[in-house]
Parts: sequence; C-alpha cells; structure tokens
Amino acid sequence: MTSADTSPRLAGSATPKAKPDFRLPSETGVVVALAVLVGLLGWLHRPFLEPANLLVLVEQAALPGIAAIGMVFVLAIREIDLSVGAVFHLAAVAAAVLIAAGTDPWLSVLAGIALGTCIGLVNGLLAQALRVPVIAVTLGSWWMADGLSSVIGKGQAITPPAGDGSFFSTLSGKAFGMVPASVAIFVLLAAALQIVLHRTRFGYRAQATGSNPEAAAHAGIATATVRLTALALMGAVAGLAGVIHLGAQGTIAPADGNGFALFAITAALLGGTRLSGGHGSVVGAAIGALVIQVVLNGMALLGIGSAWASFAVGALLVAALAADRIGRIWRSHRAERRQAGKRG
Amino acid sequence: MSDSPLISVRNLAKRLGGFVALEDVSLAAERGTIHAIVGESGAGKSTMARILAGIERADSGAIEIDGHSVAIDSPSAARKHGIAVALQQSALFPDRSVLANLFVNREPLRSGLVSRREMQARSFALLRQLGLAVDVGAPLGELGAAERQLVGIARALLDHPRLLVLDESCEALDRSQGDRLFAVLRELKARGMTMLYLTSRLEEALALADQVSVIRNGRDVLSKPRSDLTATEEAMIGQLGLTLFPLPLRSLSNVAGTLRPQLTVSGLSGGRLAGVGFSARAGEIVGLAGLRGSGASDLLAMLFGQRRARKGKVRFPDGDGLPKTRTEAARRGICLISSHAGNGVMADKSIAFNLSSVVLGARDWGRRWYSPKAAAERAARLVEALRIRSGSDELAGSLSAGGRQKVALGRWLEIGPQVVLLDEPARGIDIGSKQEIYGLVRQMAASGCVVLMHSSEMSELAGLCDRVIAFRDGRLAGEVAGSEMDAATLRKLITGDTAAPAREPATTSQRNAA
Repeated sequence: MTSADTSPRLAGSATPKAKPDFRLPSETGVVVALAVLVGLLGWLHRPFLEPANLLVLVEQAALPGIAAIGMVFVLAIREIDLSVGAVFHLAAVAAAVLIAAGTDPWLSVLAGIALGTCIGLVNGLLAQALRVPVIAVTLGSWWMADGLSSVIGKGQAITPPAGDGSFFSTLSGKAFGMVPASVAIFVLLAAALQIVLHRTRFGYRAQATGSNPEAAAHAGIATATVRLTALALMGAVAGLAGVIHLGAQGTIAPADGNGFALFAITAALLGGTRLSGGHGSVVGAAIGALVIQVVLNGMALLGIGSAWASFAVGALLVAALAADRIGRIWRSHRAERRQAGKRG
Repeated sequence: MSDSPLISVRNLAKRLGGFVALEDVSLAAERGTIHAIVGESGAGKSTMARILAGIERADSGAIEIDGHSVAIDSPSAARKHGIAVALQQSALFPDRSVLANLFVNREPLRSGLVSRREMQARSFALLRQLGLAVDVGAPLGELGAAERQLVGIARALLDHPRLLVLDESCEALDRSQGDRLFAVLRELKARGMTMLYLTSRLEEALALADQVSVIRNGRDVLSKPRSDLTATEEAMIGQLGLTLFPLPLRSLSNVAGTLRPQLTVSGLSGGRLAGVGFSARAGEIVGLAGLRGSGASDLLAMLFGQRRARKGKVRFPDGDGLPKTRTEAARRGICLISSHAGNGVMADKSIAFNLSSVVLGARDWGRRWYSPKAAAERAARLVEALRIRSGSDELAGSLSAGGRQKVALGRWLEIGPQVVLLDEPARGIDIGSKQEIYGLVRQMAASGCVVLMHSSEMSELAGLCDRVIAFRDGRLAGEVAGSEMDAATLRKLITGDTAAPAREPATTSQRNAA
C-alpha cells in the first residue's frame, strides 16, 4: 500500500481568486455627506465657509466627537454605553473640585481621567457579573453618575480658580496660533485609535468578539478581558473629554454633557459603524461628529430654529441607514450576478 | 387525477453560497405511502426538506402536488398545500413552553384570547401516542434532546398535513422512542397520510418505507419500491460511505511506542461524566462513541477548559492538568473543533480575518500588531492547504457549512496544536468537505498530535479511528480496536442492548476492507 492512498480524494481544486475586488472604504458615505452638506451650506450662506466659523464648528464637534471615537470600540464589541455624558460630566466636576481644593491642576486632570476609566471598568465588571448587556448597566451608571455630579456640584456651575494657569492656558490656547487645543487632541486621538482598532491585537480581538462572541471565545480569545478593556477605554475617553471641556471653558455647568451618548452613537452610525458589532471606523465616527455639527451649526446660521436642527440630524441618520441598506442590496445583487456569470 | 402522485419533484437544484446542495433531484411520493430518502449527511436531504417547508426556494426545478405545478415560496404556502415538515434542527423556541412551541402561529383562540386549555386538549392524545410524557408548561429548553425532537415532530403532526416530511427524525431518539414513533407513522400511513422520510440510516428506511430513494451529492442515484430491493443493492447502499475515510498511516503509530507523548485521564467527573479514565497517545485517533448526553461531548468541553470538572486528574502531554479557560487551552496548544452552533466562524469577517483568530486572538506572544498583509499571507497558505474554494478576502459567511468547518479547523493549524479535540467535526457538511476534513484529521494525528474524536455516527468512528472508547450514561462502556471495530458493535456498546439486532448495516471498518 503506497502512501498516496492516504491523502483525501479531492472534490475539486483550490482556485483562490487572483485579484481582490475593489471595495469602497466604509467611510465613503460620511465623507460624501460632509462634502455635500458643507458645499450646500456654503452656497446658501457664504459666511458659513469662513475659516473662523469652520474652526468654531470643529471645536464644537471635538468633545462629543471624542466620545464618539470611544463609542466605536463599544459598538465594535456589540455593546452600547449610555453613561458617556454623565461620565464626561462627573470627570469634569471631580477635576474642578480637586483644583478648587488646591490640588495641582494636571494631577486633578489625571484623577478625572482615572475616574472615567474606573467607571468604565465597573460598568464592564457589572455587566460581566450580572450577565446583562452593557446598555442596561450603563443606564444605571448614567443615573448614578448624573446624581453624583449634582450632589457634588449642588446643581450649580463649578468654576475652579485659574491659579497659576498652565493647565487652563494650555487647553484654552491654540496650536499653531489657530487650531484650538481640543481640536488638536480630537484629531490626534482619532488617528491613534483608528490604528489601535484596525492594526493591533486588541483591535483585532475587539472586532472578533463583536462579530461572533461565541466563535471568538472558542478560538481562545479572552472575550471578558476584551470587553472590559473596551469599556475602560470608553470611560477614559469620556473622562478626557470632560477635563478638556473644563480646561477650555474654565467651568463646568450642570447641563454640559447632556445627550453625549446619543450624539456619539449617532456619529458612529453615520460613520459606517454598525450596531451588529464586529465592525467599526474611528475616523468615520469623527467625521460623523463633524457632519452632525455642520447640520446644527448650519441651521442656526440659516436662521432656522434649533428645534428643526434636531429634526434634521434625525432625518440625516435615517437617510444614512437607508443608503447603507440600499448599498448592501445592490452589492449582493451584483455579487449574485457575477457568480451566475462565472458559472455561465 | 387521483392517479398522479401526491407530490412529485423534478430536477430540483439549489445552490447555497458557493456550494451545490442539490444538483438534480427528482422523485415522487404516491398517496398513502412512506417514501424514504436515504443519503449521507450533506447529501442534500436537509436542503430538500427546507425547500418543501418553504424556508428556502429552489434555484430551478418543479414541484407538483396532485399533478399541478405549485410554488412553495413561504412556510404558509407549504401549509396551504398540506405539507408539514419536521426539520432536523427545528425552529423551536427554547424559552417558551412546550405548548407554545406546539402551536406557534396557530394558537387556538377562545373569545379572542389564546386558550391554553384548548391547546392541551388538542395535543394530549398525540403526545401520549408519541410517548412524550413531559410537563407541557415547562420551557422547551429544559427538555432533553430526544423530547425536543419529538416536540418538533408533534408540531408538524398537529397541522394534520396530507404530506409529512421528516428529516432525521430518529437522530436523537433511543430505541424504544424510535419504535414508538415508527408505530405512530405506520398508523398515520394506514389512515392515508403520505410521508417523506429523510434519513442517513439505511436500516430505518428499510424498516419503514414502501419506496426507497438514495441521494448522493445532491443527485438521486436510485429509486425503487422496498420490495424490489435486492440484497446486493442493500449492501451497495450500505457501502456508499466507505470510500470516505483515509487509511491510517500505520508505519508512524508503530515507532517508539513508549516515548510518544500521551494524554492521561483518570477518575474524571463533571457534567454527565462520572469517574472516567483512559489514555491516548500521540499519533492515534481515539474515537469517543456515545449518544447525545452520554458525556462524550462534556469530556471534550472539559479538556478544552470550557466546562469545569468536578474531580479527577488529567495530564496533558505538556505535563500540566486541565486548562481553566479556553484561552489557556489555546495557548497550550489544545484545540476543540466542534460542529455545535455558535462555535463556528465570524460570518461577517473575511476568511483571512477568521484564520488569524487563534494566532493573534488567543496567543499573547509574537507580533503585537495586526497586519492585514501578514493575515492575507497566512490565509493564502491555509486556503491552499485546506482546499477552500474561495479567496481569502471573501467573507466567511459566504462559505458552505463544509467550508466554514474547514476555516474553524484551519485557524488552529497555524499554532501547531498538541492535542486535537473533535466534537462531531463533520456533521451536516457535504461529502467532499467531509473527506478532506477526515484527511486533515489523519494528517494531524500522523504529525504527532493526540487526537480525540466524538461522533454520533458510528460508521464515521469505525472508519476513521484507530480505537474507539464507548460511553454510556457518563461511564465507560468498553473499548474496541482493530478488526472488531464496526458500527454495529459500537452501537451495541453505547446503547447497552446486547441482544438487540444491529440498527445499522454492519459496515466493516476500513482496515478489513483494505
């Protein structure tokens, strides 16, 4: 008996395709939307395109944008974090109280970020221990963090003394003489986390966990750790946004950070991230945040009430979801046609 | 009009992704008869059942009922034509009660409200006939596999169909449950119901059917009345599976027998297992025979760190005991490849992404970065080795069940596993992929892995394994090796009925054939 007998009989030969199909990046849609909106608003209302206005717009988008960047990781593991806004607020309040108590501002800022990270970790641990979706736990922690900040701030704005001022002057200052510090951080963070999500082991694990948690666990991926890390990252990023707000504005008012969670989820969805998990685009979410801000800002400039601006953002999101669905139908049609053609 | 068969199917074809499930199947079922369709799993039976149920649509071919061509494009259309299908893995709701499952979407109403009493009244007699003595208010998930299967069949019967399609309906049933079901089916036949009975076990077909058709690789190869089947034809059908299995690499398993690394299990309990002990050496494929719930699956899950062991000692080739988590198992080169739902692939990710999941996802050393280029190179290698017939950048979800299983297996190849645990690795996949997976398993054993394989298909174990350990109710029921290893012996061991006639044709093991 020859050894050739042992190899399996083949049911066909392997014919891997030579050239990969060209696929548009998932951010295409949101980039096009941004370009169209900016063009349209500039055409309707020339002053919209002035650099000063655009910079203000980006600065307004920066903080919720940072939250959206973190949200991409949470969505990628197929979870939703509702506590973002409250964590943002609580981190800022904690830092402000510490500064007011005489702690070094930079240390206080670190403490604020650490607090955000801890809340994220606790969210993750609770979700793990109680075996409930993160959305349920964070709904609770949102209420709690919100309550805590009202207790600490007594329902009023906290304005810590500027003191020696290196912290406040740095964050309210401008890089290269024109770019606000918050915008610089926003852009750098988006670039860095895009790489983390798509090119590192952690990013890989996060996508695998979100795509099919059971299959990921079965391949030996420590899915619990991945979840915790993603939620801690979200908390840290929310805390960072909070202290940047404090540094740039010099104060934290009771309503700051309201609606951040929904803003962040909307921005991420606009940017091509899906609620079904496994996919995410950090850059897309950042651009998504810009799109939302363009709509809000543009409506104000055009003199349309802010009430209609919210409506427009919602309509935009629904339109984006519809476009995504149509695109997918079209792609699957094309793939079917091509397969049929290949078979003859 | 009444001369025409109740249902006839002509040139049915169905493609699932890149895989041809049905190529060209034609058959007809006469009124008031049981028509058995025999084929290996993966031959296309389940696809046909799903088409008749209106869950999937055929790509081409015609279905005629009473001589009229009909389109079954939805489950409700199937019901309208009087077809009820008990699928192999029925779409049941594990969290809802048995009653709720029996009457999904046709709950009897009394003054506008769903009436539980009415449901009980309607199902009582049938459940008793089937021998299903369960609390009908209990959630379905709390029932055993056999009871769940009977619930699926009962649900189809409650439709009072003209044509009943049964897909692998005896799979989870033990002997007495199977006999009871057969009695019910015969009685229904006598009352004029027509049945299509899809099975992979020839002797079930022979025991029950008036007409037997054989399908292989999506084609019907033979169709005859039961009474016309000659003994040679029966033997021929029984032998169809034999060419599937690769021959063992004898030379390797004989060298340096004592030095080869080995896996030792002693007194292991947990799950359904109670005090199990055995050992397995590198280079051999050890089969674990057992019905569902016999503990063989639990054993593999424990060895992989997926389940906790209550007590007992295990020594792996690397000198350590049981892994505590699946991550630890993966890092120590212990892998589990299973066909259970959820253990599969990430369907919305590319094949390349999937194939990186152990190398990059489980291990904590090596390169820190995920490079799409490195992933693509790795995937290209594995796609070639595994004979996956798609590019590595295509989505894993576009693969057939067999292709997915190859990906699930392939992701482990990259780390060079020491211990390979297989839990029904080839269930529900096409014959070509089966054969290739068997070949890979044999190669892994030959390259020095300890291989344990659980399967509920005895012919698979007899064909592929070097020796088989039988499990019954969580305990060892015996061990067979060499020439005494055949499907009938194994079946006797795992069911524990020594006197009963074989329920499977005595397929001799490969070694005897060779």
